[in-house]
Amino acid sequence: MHGYGIYLLKRFAQFVLVVFIGISLTFFITHLTPIDPVDRMVAGMTTFGQSDPEAVEAMREALRALYGTGAPLLDQYFEYWGRMLVFDFGPSLSSFPTPVSQLIGRALPWTFGLLATCTLIAWVLGNLLGGLAGYYRNNLALKTFGVVAMGFHPIPHYIIAFLLLILFGYLWPILPISGGASQQVERGLNLPFVLSVLKHSVLPGLAIILISIGSWFMGMRALVSNIVTEDYVVYAELGGVSRRRIMRSYVMRNAIAPQVTGLAMSMSGFYNAAIIIEYVFSYPGLGRLLIAGVYAGDYGLVLGVTAISIVAVSAAVFLIDVLYPLFDPRVQLS
Amino acid sequence: MKLARLLVPLAAALFLSTAVHAQDASPPPRNQTLIVENPQGTIPNADSFNLWLPGLRGVSTGLHQLGMDTFWYIDPDHGLDGVWDNSLAAEPPIYNEDFTEMTVKLRQGIYWSDGVEFTADDVVFTTETHLNTDGLLRSSSYQLNVESVEAPDPYTVVFHLKRPNSRFHALFTVRWNAAWIMPRHVFEGQDPLQFDFNPPVTLGAYKLHSYDPNGQWFTWEKREDWERTTIARFGEPGPQYVTYVDPGPPDRRVIAQMNHELDIIHDVSPEGMFTLAKDSPSSIAWFDGFPYAHPDPTLPALIFNHQLEKFQSADVRWALALAIDIKAVSMASYRGAATISAIQIPPTGTHPQYYHEPLTEWLTSFELDTGQQVIRPYDPTMGQQIADMLRPTMGDEIPTDPQQIAASFGMGWWKQDLEAAAQLLEKAGFTRRDGEWYMPNGERFSIRIMVEGDGRPVMTRAGTMVAQQWRQFGIDATAENAQAAFFPRRESGDFEVCISWSVETWGGHPDLSFFLDSWHSDFVAAPGEIQPPRNWQRWSSPELDAIIEQIREVPFDDPRGVELGQEFVKLTVREMPTIPLMSYNVFTVMDETYWTGYPTAADPYTNPVPNWANSRYMMVRLRPTQP
Repeated sequence: MHGYGIYLLKRFAQFVLVVFIGISLTFFITHLTPIDPVDRMVAGMTTFGQSDPEAVEAMREALRALYGTGAPLLDQYFEYWGRMLVFDFGPSLSSFPTPVSQLIGRALPWTFGLLATCTLIAWVLGNLLGGLAGYYRNNLALKTFGVVAMGFHPIPHYIIAFLLLILFGYLWPILPISGGASQQVERGLNLPFVLSVLKHSVLPGLAIILISIGSWFMGMRALVSNIVTEDYVVYAELGGVSRRRIMRSYVMRNAIAPQVTGLAMSMSGFYNAAIIIEYVFSYPGLGRLLIAGVYAGDYGLVLGVTAISIVAVSAAVFLIDVLYPLFDPRVQLS
Repeated sequence: MKLARLLVPLAAALFLSTAVHAQDASPPPRNQTLIVENPQGTIPNADSFNLWLPGLRGVSTGLHQLGMDTFWYIDPDHGLDGVWDNSLAAEPPIYNEDFTEMTVKLRQGIYWSDGVEFTADDVVFTTETHLNTDGLLRSSSYQLNVESVEAPDPYTVVFHLKRPNSRFHALFTVRWNAAWIMPRHVFEGQDPLQFDFNPPVTLGAYKLHSYDPNGQWFTWEKREDWERTTIARFGEPGPQYVTYVDPGPPDRRVIAQMNHELDIIHDVSPEGMFTLAKDSPSSIAWFDGFPYAHPDPTLPALIFNHQLEKFQSADVRWALALAIDIKAVSMASYRGAATISAIQIPPTGTHPQYYHEPLTEWLTSFELDTGQQVIRPYDPTMGQQIADMLRPTMGDEIPTDPQQIAASFGMGWWKQDLEAAAQLLEKAGFTRRDGEWYMPNGERFSIRIMVEGDGRPVMTRAGTMVAQQWRQFGIDATAENAQAAFFPRRESGDFEVCISWSVETWGGHPDLSFFLDSWHSDFVAAPGEIQPPRNWQRWSSPELDAIIEQIREVPFDDPRGVELGQEFVKLTVREMPTIPLMSYNVFTVMDETYWTGYPTAADPYTNPVPNWANSRYMMVRLRPTQP
């Protein structure tokens, strides 16, 4: 247990370091871009109307004072960390005075619900079917699934999303192509709303599952194909152990460990894909919020969303890391 | 089972998070609901309806089209009863002789949606709030102009101004939007910089029905007392409900309208428009056939940075204009669906009758001395030529009536004349060696045309085509994709040539002060400093200043204003400070499955582009097709 404690501390330090570097980099990148949120806002406001040059200049100065964007960069950096520690991301500049945390709080459950659910479905299904395909190598259905999964695997996620959009939104319009729930149902904890949320999540969810299931399937099939030739598996088969038990206790249990590591490694990739997919389907999650923040030059919002993402992905990796030794007894900690 | 244990709490968390923001309103029936695209997209802070605050909050969500009101509206097209509409004001503004005082007579019998009467107190409160609060969207406009405000009686407001301003009423005159009036009884005692104004108390004919807390849609319901609003003068609004929705990227808008889930698309690509025209029989646009789009009172142009040495000579600027084949630019940008303009006025609304038509003769006889010959560069048949060019592929979609062709494709433009262009460059001291142009200082004549990229693909394609044409002429021209840095670079003068617009007009009214006042040399920033809108070209001209100063001294409706506007056009033709190309055409597409009576070129009673506040006038003409 002493060894595990040291391992835990090391991993936690690594987690803190990743979060610190990630957020600091994001802070400086957003603040050093030529896009000034005040100028962007003034440009947005004057695009269609107000153009009195003196009034516009006065407005620019008033906004700088209001938003506090005129302070030196390092002062803003330290102030940001001070607020970050209490999860205060400050006000959104494009939605002033609404706090960034409030905007994130509203979008986060949608992204979390969609991403976590679909990632887990893809991971469980991909590994289960991949394991079966590796063990029952002559099964025609599993072979066919393997071909289909391999076919989908190299297609970029935005192409998959648009294909689904055209297929189920236009050619065979049976599924909603936009939003998180229908306007035609009353929001709340009622069955029509729940069903509507589920229905609206089918296409974006399917896009996430289709692009990720192939890699899990192929990885697991390859792992299992190797394990089934191991002596202990052959011995168990010769010893009359049931195939189901061999599959579950001898093969899958040994093969799953690298896939857990793979899940941790691929979390950020799934998050990136989810942002694009949310945008394509107008799904009301963090992806759309991030894109809106980028276009508005609202670095408070961009920083907030990015910080949450960095913390969430790093925390997921940390969690998997610390759980790993608990379910894989072969891992030795010293 | 383990998986289920994990998924159930996740799903519950998702539903709970949305339930917290549940709206207590039943969904509106489809056949009573007009569904409109909100081009602002999804609104992050959907709970805030305080549109007096700065920021990119929900405005085109129906809030400023259906909920707000102010003194006057100028229609960018022809209007229901003329282009000028006295809305909250009972009559046009009344100025004193030296324009230091503006009196507004208010319309009586107008009520807020909560039953409180609208009076001069609301106007005084709105003005004083802006005078006393820094950081509101229009605080600086009030603070620079207004010394004090008073209400001698409940239906009269007098603004005492700090300095003469014959266009002070423009602050309260809607083009796209304007300064909206606040409800005193709601805002009093609130911090205007923090107040959410939720639910909004409205002066318009609609009130908020429900909205998506995630900001994807907002639904407005016709007020029971709609007769106590200003729009009632034109009749009862047709739609019982109006929903403004973010339908997503352009492809999805097309699909949504084909599925009859989106009645008005704000804008799509030319290709999207052509798809709908072909495959969606119930979809209509501004023009019955090609080019379909509504020309906005905005004029995309090639904007020179006049603070660069290479663009100092009018001969150089004219040479660059004559090196352009506008027909190819029209095809590249809008696939031919452009409405071209040779002069610095958008060819839209009532402008052709005030500027383009009266100046045709002058333009046709306009002479340009290239140093080796005198040419007449204007070709009044250019619009006709574009129509003829498109006819073999578009057939009956292309009009044959000359007036219709002029309205659709524009009138004339400058003939591409590479020989004259070369002579003009030589006149300016440039030399050509091996087909490549060199500046008087011996350096290669290079031009980078800054374009917006994905954000405005039509203009990007136009800029790329012009770069290609200039390159063929021997200039080292390239199109530079600035993406999100386009606006900061345009404003700080960090460009050589950009494709954008510095001309925006009222559309329906011939007065040019809306954009022209900001072209005065007083406002030109030093190189590297931020240029206030809209003189992005940073052009200074004593002749222009004299015209602007004269416009400031004539009343808004004085015919002398049009004469001065024509003087401006002639000056800019001679000087070519920017190369005007075309109006900004918006492919607004309307589906007649559920509603009919939309504004079109044949019945141009208002602007169909639904994010303009003027689009409220559409509501009184729309009627359901499926009662």
